[in-house]
Amino acid sequence: MVELLLNAVVNGILLGGVLALLAFGMNLIFGVVKILHLAYGQCVMLGLYFIYTLVVPLGMPIILACLIVLPVMGLIGFLLQMLVINPLLKAKANPLTQLLALAGLTIVFENLAQVIWGADLRGINVQLPLIHFGNIFLRTSNLIAFLGALLTLLGLHLFLNRTYLGLAIRSAAQDLESTRLMGINPRAIYYFTMGAGGALTGLIAALFSPIYAVHPQFGGSFTMMAFIIVVLGGMGNIFGGFIGAFIIGIITSVSAVLTSTEIADIIALIIFIATILVRPQGLLGIKVSK
Amino acid sequence: MLEIQNLNVRYGEFQALFDVSLRLSEGETVITVGPNGAGKSTLLKTISGLLTPRSGSITFLGKPIAGLPAHKIVRLGIAHVPEGGRLFPQLTVLENLKIGSYPKKARSEFAAGLKEIYHLFPILDERKKQMADTLSGGERQMLSIARGLMSRPKLILLDEPSSGLAPRVVSRVFEFVRHIKAKGYAILMVEQNVRKALQLSERAYFMESGRVRKEGTQQAFLEDPYIKKAYIGL
Amino acid sequence: MLRALILLILLAAIAIFPHLIPSPYLIHMGTLIFIWSFVTTSWSYMGRFGLVSLGHGAFLGLGAYTAGLLFNFYGLSPWIGMLLGGLIAVIFAVLIGYACFRFGVIGDYFALVTLALGEVVSLTIIAFRDITGGSLGFTLKSMGTSLLYFQSEKKIHFYYISLAFLILALLIWKWIDRSKMQKALRAIAEDEIAASTLGVGIIRYKMIITVISAFMTATGAVLYAQYITYLNPHTLSGVGPSLEIAFKAILGGMFSLWGPTVGTALIVSLEEYFRVMYGGTFVGFSQIIYGLALVLLIIFLPKGLYGSLQDFFSRKKPDWTQK
Repeated sequence: MVELLLNAVVNGILLGGVLALLAFGMNLIFGVVKILHLAYGQCVMLGLYFIYTLVVPLGMPIILACLIVLPVMGLIGFLLQMLVINPLLKAKANPLTQLLALAGLTIVFENLAQVIWGADLRGINVQLPLIHFGNIFLRTSNLIAFLGALLTLLGLHLFLNRTYLGLAIRSAAQDLESTRLMGINPRAIYYFTMGAGGALTGLIAALFSPIYAVHPQFGGSFTMMAFIIVVLGGMGNIFGGFIGAFIIGIITSVSAVLTSTEIADIIALIIFIATILVRPQGLLGIKVSK
Repeated sequence: MLEIQNLNVRYGEFQALFDVSLRLSEGETVITVGPNGAGKSTLLKTISGLLTPRSGSITFLGKPIAGLPAHKIVRLGIAHVPEGGRLFPQLTVLENLKIGSYPKKARSEFAAGLKEIYHLFPILDERKKQMADTLSGGERQMLSIARGLMSRPKLILLDEPSSGLAPRVVSRVFEFVRHIKAKGYAILMVEQNVRKALQLSERAYFMESGRVRKEGTQQAFLEDPYIKKAYIGL
Repeated sequence: MLRALILLILLAAIAIFPHLIPSPYLIHMGTLIFIWSFVTTSWSYMGRFGLVSLGHGAFLGLGAYTAGLLFNFYGLSPWIGMLLGGLIAVIFAVLIGYACFRFGVIGDYFALVTLALGEVVSLTIIAFRDITGGSLGFTLKSMGTSLLYFQSEKKIHFYYISLAFLILALLIWKWIDRSKMQKALRAIAEDEIAASTLGVGIIRYKMIITVISAFMTATGAVLYAQYITYLNPHTLSGVGPSLEIAFKAILGGMFSLWGPTVGTALIVSLEEYFRVMYGGTFVGFSQIIYGLALVLLIIFLPKGLYGSLQDFFSRKKPDWTQK
């Protein structure tokens, strides 16, 4: 029993790593563009479909497909900014309207996936060996995803804190108007952020591709997960998202083993609801007076 | 250096500036004074590109800049220190200074500029790792002016640098401005504290209800009875 | 007066329609439109006052599964089951509503909480798969045509019953619109803080409207379940139906009486059209169109189609209030 739990905790940590990347992307976009990207998980799903299409019917080697998907998803992020988010900002839509528009987008993405690829599972069927430490079993694919995620997060942390562009992005999240007086083009920052967020979904898809087979509803559960994490950690707070990801990763993993996957999801959702009710700024967020 | 002619600026239906004209030469310090709502801040915002004028022209170093986006104008050499400073609250003092040097030309001079600032203002060196929102009012004002300097401008726009500050702090801020002036920067300053501001400047403009009512030298303003009564308190 | 006459004629036409053109397919479409218009109109009781819920699927699920399970396991008449289902939905709404309103959760945060709740109900239904049949759903025991057991082998019975339900929902809409409550809720929607300083019982009014909306949505779900005689957690709970209800109402215009009905009629027809034209290959095609239309609409026409049309026409009339 203890081994089962230990396995669950370890796998929860591994999952947490990738969820942390997901949360990072969402927090970045929320911090700068000030929009709750409700279709983020669906973008990961699209990335997975792209990889599948490149690898299975088109026979491309997996690594190459994974590399290509990054700029492709980055482009999609950029297009989303241009076609959906800019008009929303221009129409001065309130947050609820933005939420609804993005929810509409999730419907478009999911059904697009269904129309193009059908409702069946699409996976790239890669068998990687199982590693074990004593009685703890790890899938290599999960481990790679975890390490990849951590490395990326480290790189992103350095980028945000050590480079001029990273600094510009952090400034934009705090006071967009003032960045103009620093010689920064806010439009460019928006596009870059959405593009980077998109590329990140591509990366996550690449990391997920050996683990999960994709289906049209795949995006939904990951968007929800990402949301729960982001709210728990404090919206826009990158470190909060990092911590939240591991908390949720471990809790859902352990719950799934102890009860069932549905109940694990229910627990995560209850955490989400409780956070909004009791502490809407999340664990690390700053309280904003209503 | 800076030439403004017949500037008209509107906020929607409301017109804030009517046919405003102003000029400023290299190395000059010019101040704009007047009651609240006179349009002084609006003038600065239009020069720096935050606002676009309805009509009129702004020429800087021979180049027309009216209507250009703010980030381009910064690169041309105009730094705008807005009222209240508008620092980035969750960035450290050092990071605020660094972002000030964002324009490519300024980046290579970041280290040199930093040294200058720390020399002029040791307190900023002491607090360089602190979050900007933990500084006192006076320190914040100095930081925002310092941040403006980091972009290596040729002209500095200061919007009410003394606002909200205690008298002793105000003196220090004006000391700072005097240092900057001594370094040869051109300064266009909007100020309520007319007495102190006039001591620094060569020329002044008096604005009211969106129009320039008076223009004159420092001496002329100091002797003007209306201004003396209303603003210098003599 | 003219409007009332037009409405009556329209009503008569709809009522006689199945006898003039006895197409089971059209009658089926009509029934679906009536049922879902009933639900979306009930949703709009909350939506029009700023309480945009993205979790009405919870009420659907609670209503339909309560009645359906009680019927299948205990033979309880679905009419009673409907009342019980509505009651359970109300209890749920009261608990959650109170928690939200007490903690001042409004706007997009409220929408997110309801979204999560819709999913919680859906997941719960799936989790107890031994009783509920999980993701595969379950079928109601057939009782032939029976008023007591709210089933019929003739579609036309449900056509009229659903129409009656829809008329009821529209009448209740009108009643709410004329009540004192409407003024209070409008004030709350515009500026909650100001309203509270004026002594408006914010929590009380929000709770009342939520309870009404919850009860009616739940009964609508039972109606649907009895018509189809099949329940499935993906069509009667969770994110999918929740979003669909909200979107149908918004598309048509959630601030007006007929808006939700117009939106529902459009969407249901569109989906049917695509299903018929393109069959199985393009399942989901209509959803893409409707999702896109929705995004565009939300950005450019916040009052929905019907609402914007209303605005457009009212602008043409001379404004006697102008001096």
